[in-house]
Amino acid sequence: MTAITSPAPIAFACRVRRSLFRVLSTALLGCALLAASASNAMLPNEHAIVLNSGDGTVSLIDRATRKVVKTFPVGKEPHHLIGTLKDDEVVVANAVSNDLVFLDPVSGEVKRRLPRISDPYQLAYSPDGKWFISISLRLNRVDLYSMPNYELKARIPAAKTPSHVVFSSDSRMAYVTMQDSNELLAIDITTQKEAWRMPIGKTPAGIWLSPQGLIFVGIMSSDYVEVIDPVKRATVKKIVTGKGAHNVFPMGNGSKILVSNRVDGTITPVDYKTLVAEKPIKVGSGVDCMDISEDGKEVWATVRFEGRVAVIDMTGQKPIHYIPVGRSPHGIYFRSHARRDQ
Amino acid sequence: MLDTLESWFTELVSWVHATLVSPAVYSLGLMSWSEWAYDATAFFVGGVLLVAFTTLVCLPLEQWRPVEPGRTLTADVRTDIGYTLITKLGILPLFTFAALYWLLRPVEGWARLHGFAPFSLEDAWPALATTPGVSLLFYVLVLDFTEYWRHRWQHRIEWWWQLHAVHHSQQQMTFWTDDRVHLLDDLIAALWMAAVALTIGMPPEQFPLVFAVLRFMESLSHANLRWNFGPLKRLLISPQFHRVHHGIGVGHEGRRYGVNFGVTFSVWDQLFRTADFRDEYPATGIRDQLDGRNYGHGFWETQWLGFIRLAQSLGTLLGRSSSRPSAR
Repeated sequence: MTAITSPAPIAFACRVRRSLFRVLSTALLGCALLAASASNAMLPNEHAIVLNSGDGTVSLIDRATRKVVKTFPVGKEPHHLIGTLKDDEVVVANAVSNDLVFLDPVSGEVKRRLPRISDPYQLAYSPDGKWFISISLRLNRVDLYSMPNYELKARIPAAKTPSHVVFSSDSRMAYVTMQDSNELLAIDITTQKEAWRMPIGKTPAGIWLSPQGLIFVGIMSSDYVEVIDPVKRATVKKIVTGKGAHNVFPMGNGSKILVSNRVDGTITPVDYKTLVAEKPIKVGSGVDCMDISEDGKEVWATVRFEGRVAVIDMTGQKPIHYIPVGRSPHGIYFRSHARRDQ
Repeated sequence: MLDTLESWFTELVSWVHATLVSPAVYSLGLMSWSEWAYDATAFFVGGVLLVAFTTLVCLPLEQWRPVEPGRTLTADVRTDIGYTLITKLGILPLFTFAALYWLLRPVEGWARLHGFAPFSLEDAWPALATTPGVSLLFYVLVLDFTEYWRHRWQHRIEWWWQLHAVHHSQQQMTFWTDDRVHLLDDLIAALWMAAVALTIGMPPEQFPLVFAVLRFMESLSHANLRWNFGPLKRLLISPQFHRVHHGIGVGHEGRRYGVNFGVTFSVWDQLFRTADFRDEYPATGIRDQLDGRNYGHGFWETQWLGFIRLAQSLGTLLGRSSSRPSAR
């Protein structure tokens, strides 16, 4: 007679339970992944972080529900924000407060504040992690800091009106658009001095460096993106995108960038290999910074002069949602973003 | 309610900017100023709404309980309307902004390049940066306190008084009189504000509605209106309290050149013993106007005579001519 206390049936029952658990957990995981892919693979409780430069506040938007869940003061005139190289913090540049504020990249909560950073407007980390640049647009200066302690190494005069910055992939050069002298400025990081500058289109703003080594600059007083070969120090092409071409963001798919055109209120996809522009997408007045979902299906863009964020469906090529935020929303970031380098 | 109002305002500003301003800025090749142009548009639209609101509230009040009946649209009042429009719709602020921009930005840029960074009170007191209510209250009080002292010195310092006399020369005071100020006096006020900002940091920008309310209160305090705010007069500047400041023989002669210098809150006058809560509504103006001295009537004349008086005062200061005693 088999006793009911015999280990065999218990082991069998356990095996059945384990199998059931495995099946169920696989099914649940599958469902979760499916749900995640439908919502652009965002993290749980992920927030889009938006800087309202006119209000001096941050708006946190729940990425899933697309609703503002919190607005809090962050400093005076916050314009740009970037993720650190590991994306473990988001750095907000408060131009008038003269400080940096570090936020949690997922929740957007304030982690710490770094004072005595003079007039920070736009920021960049070098790819090798050794350098940090803060652009002083208002006061004609580029500040170079060594990492990891944000130690000021050089204040480089940069008239007139340095605007946006990008590092070369080998971290040896930094390229800065000069909004009021209509130039591209190259800074040698080794000597910590200006290396050269070349004339480009009127009122250059956003800048991005392609894996092919070409620089793309939004020309705000015109309607094109200027493509520059920094080795030859020559303009390769002017790609017409729309009036008030301003900022340039890669889609992370190895082929396209998105250009915001402030005056036309559009975003134009451009193939950065063939240098051909596609049809612009109407977004709103003063469209500026963007972040792009990991799968490239959604673009979130600040629409500065309308005080809102546009969510653009890149499959249907149109805005599908507008989220009211504060005055003059400028920088925007979310953690599950597309790659910035391609 | 406030959110809805703000949303309407944003939509209106955005429409004006996208339809008229942005294409013009682009056509003129001034895209470097595009963000500033948006702010200027907001200032203009906000100014139109503020003037409209102030008129809608103050005009009926002035009709209801006037100190001086039947003096609503005389030539002198029309001059003040002109002052209000060029101030509140942005023309005068444009002038002071341009002057300050070209004067101060190179100095600030040079100073920062050589390691000077302005003091920021938020470094010492982080709650200012993170608590909106505290931040707002602090800046409103500090700015009102510094305005009280600027106003006292406008009366105390001879050459400065000669500019400020443009404001005090209005003998038919109405809510429009608030903006009747000499251009140079405006420029000094902007420099004063820049110095305050350098000392304590810039005021927060997230409360434009609060600052609009304060501007409205300043206009109301100049109204031709019998009202002393009752018990609230111990806190806020009422039309009666400010009329005493403008009163001939009262507001800018005794107690070493005046009483009731406050702009929004009456607490500073009480604290520094310059408050005069007398229950009277004296005639306004400057004593020697009664003897026929002309301080000007139209905009240009008031400005020009202000310059002349300033020159005479500085001449006296440098030991040259004019022994004419200053009327207050």
